Amino acid sequence: MSAEEVLPDADRKKNRFHFDRHTPEYRHQFESVTQEMQAKCPIAWSDTYGGHWVAAGNREVFELARSAEYLSNDHDVNNERRGYKGITIPTPESMKIQGGFLEMDPPEQRQYRQTLNPYLSPAAVSRWAPVVEKLVRACLDEKIETGQIDFVDDLANVVPAILTLAMMGIPLKQWTIYCEPVHASVYTPPDSPDMPRVRQGQMGMYQDMFAQLAAIKGNPRPGLIDALARVSINGKAPPDMELLGVMALIIGGGFDTTTALTAHALEWLSEHPEQRERLSRERDTLLDPATEEFLRFYCPAPGDGRTISADCEIAGVQFKEGERLWLSWAMANRDPSVFDNPNEVDLARTGNRHHSFGLGIHRCIGSNVARMVFKHMVTAVLDRMPGYQCDPAGAVHYETIGVIQGMQHLPATFTPGSRLGAGLDETIETLQRVCDKQRLAEPVTVRKAKAEIVH
Amino acid sequence: MKVKVDPERCQGHTLCAMIAPKVFELDEVDGHSSPISEDVPADQEAQVAEAVRSCPEQAISIS
Repeated sequence: MSAEEVLPDADRKKNRFHFDRHTPEYRHQFESVTQEMQAKCPIAWSDTYGGHWVAAGNREVFELARSAEYLSNDHDVNNERRGYKGITIPTPESMKIQGGFLEMDPPEQRQYRQTLNPYLSPAAVSRWAPVVEKLVRACLDEKIETGQIDFVDDLANVVPAILTLAMMGIPLKQWTIYCEPVHASVYTPPDSPDMPRVRQGQMGMYQDMFAQLAAIKGNPRPGLIDALARVSINGKAPPDMELLGVMALIIGGGFDTTTALTAHALEWLSEHPEQRERLSRERDTLLDPATEEFLRFYCPAPGDGRTISADCEIAGVQFKEGERLWLSWAMANRDPSVFDNPNEVDLARTGNRHHSFGLGIHRCIGSNVARMVFKHMVTAVLDRMPGYQCDPAGAVHYETIGVIQGMQHLPATFTPGSRLGAGLDETIETLQRVCDKQRLAEPVTVRKAKAEIVH
Repeated sequence: MKVKVDPERCQGHTLCAMIAPKVFELDEVDGHSSPISEDVPADQEAQVAEAVRSCPEQAISIS
């Protein structure tokens, strides 16, 4: 690009849109905002949060996300490189910690992913299916005789959290230290009077994470933390703070997102009982496309920030080094140029190349876990509570969808049934013994067999 | 019909193997896809075409 061709800022940024995804209005007007941006300014400049670009069109998001040579995920918390701010806009003020390899660039990012992939590949994840089945069964057994359940508190919050800890190598009974603080940190507004309690919970969680890392370094047991304890990045052992950032990424990515997807899907199915019966009846062919459709429509992690790392022109827009960019997976998923009737749920949708797990080198490393856990939870509810009815008055959606498009509560009633097995605490004890004895959390390169659970 | 997966583009989204499990296999360690055989059996052509349409990275090509 020659100097003459570089446009002045007023021209580069001529497509402007006041974009504030942290307001409740954005959640309520999501469809109209998306339509307007895609029609008028699929890449727009917004003055909010210090000024940043917003990509809303599917083609534009696709091109940008895959231009790794011009984009950086780096979060340079100690100001040792170029001072980039990572994937959150605005930068959170509370904790100065790099968000694991999602806030790194290659080669470090690649080295971390290569270390963790053998724990999270489709082959690795399918080994855990019997564990997930037992956890889901126990969660439903806790409520099946009462005819009442909160699908968030009693199911969708619980299973992803316990499974994530099991894969990490953290004792399963610790799940309560992690579960509520992770969700509360997402759904609590920064100015809430509840914030001190939320911060305290987070501190407790970080203390336990640090204790687990230290324990596993001294006395190895299999799991993702063991891989981190032994990892070499650019030939060196990373500092503990960096490893804690990776652990926090795994926990943050593993907990609230699958919860959000499951809650929204169960709510939609309650509102569409004929579609629910159809999904249950035709699950052999419909469960896979329906899962992708719920992912597209309810996109739990609605976007990611980036920093432009070199002057460039992409999708017809000139970007300058250092500028911030928001890639909206959620808006790209509603682009009518790619998806027919984008604002409708079509369980059998074809050609569904949604962006809900991101695109390019940072594709969600837990995507295989998310799909597997989601499918187990939904089908178990369809089998054991087939006519459930969600209570719209009790459903609590996250006030904003700036970070996670999630739900806090989803109460429902159903025809009571019989328990099939032990309750959650006893099941957790059984599964802990299985994890320890069969070394389930080894990478797939070490252990290939599925978990075997006798009762 | 012949099918290729661009290994530089594939990021392991796994949709192709979900849609056409007889045609695509996933690496055990990173889940990245490759065709079991470059030649697509006649009874799999529709599934492969759907896999091409569904790939988030547009990494699959047919000829």
